[in-house]
Amino acid sequence: MFERSKKDTDTIESQDPNRTEASKTFGSLRSKVTGGGDSAVIGRSIQINGDLRGNEDLRIEGDVTGTVELRNSALTIGKEGKVKADVYAKSIAVDGETRGDLYATDRITVHVNARVQGNIIAPKVSIEEGAHFKGSIEMDPAAVERVLGKTAASGADKPVTETKSSNIADTKAAPKKPAKETGANLNPPAGNA
Amino acid sequence: MTASLRRAGRRVQPDPAAALHVPLFQDIVAGLDANQRHVVLDLGAASTAMLALLGRSRCRAEIADLAYFGGIDRLNSAESGPALSRAAESLLPNRLSDDAIDLVFCWDLPNYLTLDSLSALMDAVGRRARAGALAHALIFYAERDMNERPGRFIPTADGELIDHSAPGEAVEAPRYSAEDLGKSMGGFVIDRARLLSNGMQEFLFRLGS
Repeated sequence: MFERSKKDTDTIESQDPNRTEASKTFGSLRSKVTGGGDSAVIGRSIQINGDLRGNEDLRIEGDVTGTVELRNSALTIGKEGKVKADVYAKSIAVDGETRGDLYATDRITVHVNARVQGNIIAPKVSIEEGAHFKGSIEMDPAAVERVLGKTAASGADKPVTETKSSNIADTKAAPKKPAKETGANLNPPAGNA
Repeated sequence: MTASLRRAGRRVQPDPAAALHVPLFQDIVAGLDANQRHVVLDLGAASTAMLALLGRSRCRAEIADLAYFGGIDRLNSAESGPALSRAAESLLPNRLSDDAIDLVFCWDLPNYLTLDSLSALMDAVGRRARAGALAHALIFYAERDMNERPGRFIPTADGELIDHSAPGEAVEAPRYSAEDLGKSMGGFVIDRARLLSNGMQEFLFRLGS
């Protein structure tokens, strides 16, 4: 069930009048104080089929299938969480399993032992060693902006990948420099993909 | 010909301290133009170090992690023909756009595939790649045995590779010849090859038009 760690008076539903039946149903559930952080929680015994929308931080420990939209909020998919959905949020952290594309206007973090199948689009992406990922990661700022639209364009610098691994020093984007002439020529004869 | 998994009766213990000098890999990395967009397909597992390396240029990294997601078994057990082609296609990541692949990192995965499977996989890759695209691979050549599981190669800041895979039982390496590979890499043909200090052969393939 939905659990809340802060106030017992709010519901998880958004104010979107176009919300689906699933979001209406689950949005009407009250939640209880857990004393943990500041976000709503979908507990491990909950299964949701439909669209989830909202404007507050959310942690998913249950099963969610459909679409998840928390455009101005943070989403955490916990170790028990299984999400089969395209996800849109300000930031996304994955400890569990996802199948679907992940879009974040701020950052996406895939923690160790997480299992992610789908594309990742965010200005900042971090994949810890030991995480399992199948999909694509866009590192071209122009392409990220194109996909995310103006939201990303307003605050995004060059996309970076970061690491929690101690054996990697600095994984931020390096200053632009010309390719060495001795390097393998990756450029096509005319134009490029 | 099949990739043999015959037990060799001993264990393989990769040395995480041993960095492998890989000149062709270093050439590829040096050739990533920071000002130009590249689409890179990595058939191995996601690694932060590899992503950091690619992040120096305007890349899109497509990661298949064939070993973890069961790709090797699926390919080697599929029947030749359309079923094998479908299996190969399904193992590649779903695409966000139709941008053609410029560069493929195969690591040591070809050693774990039958030549039929390898051919089907590289055919599928080739259909997504542009003419002139490069593919890099590490092939067991001098050593008769290899770890039962593919390596987990992670680049250092200097462009050398360290195998972080877990120890495992040794199995007989197929030791594919250049001729075998020349016929089994789809439209990719051998561009350059180097013998490495650990007895592996480093190959660079180029996709013909």
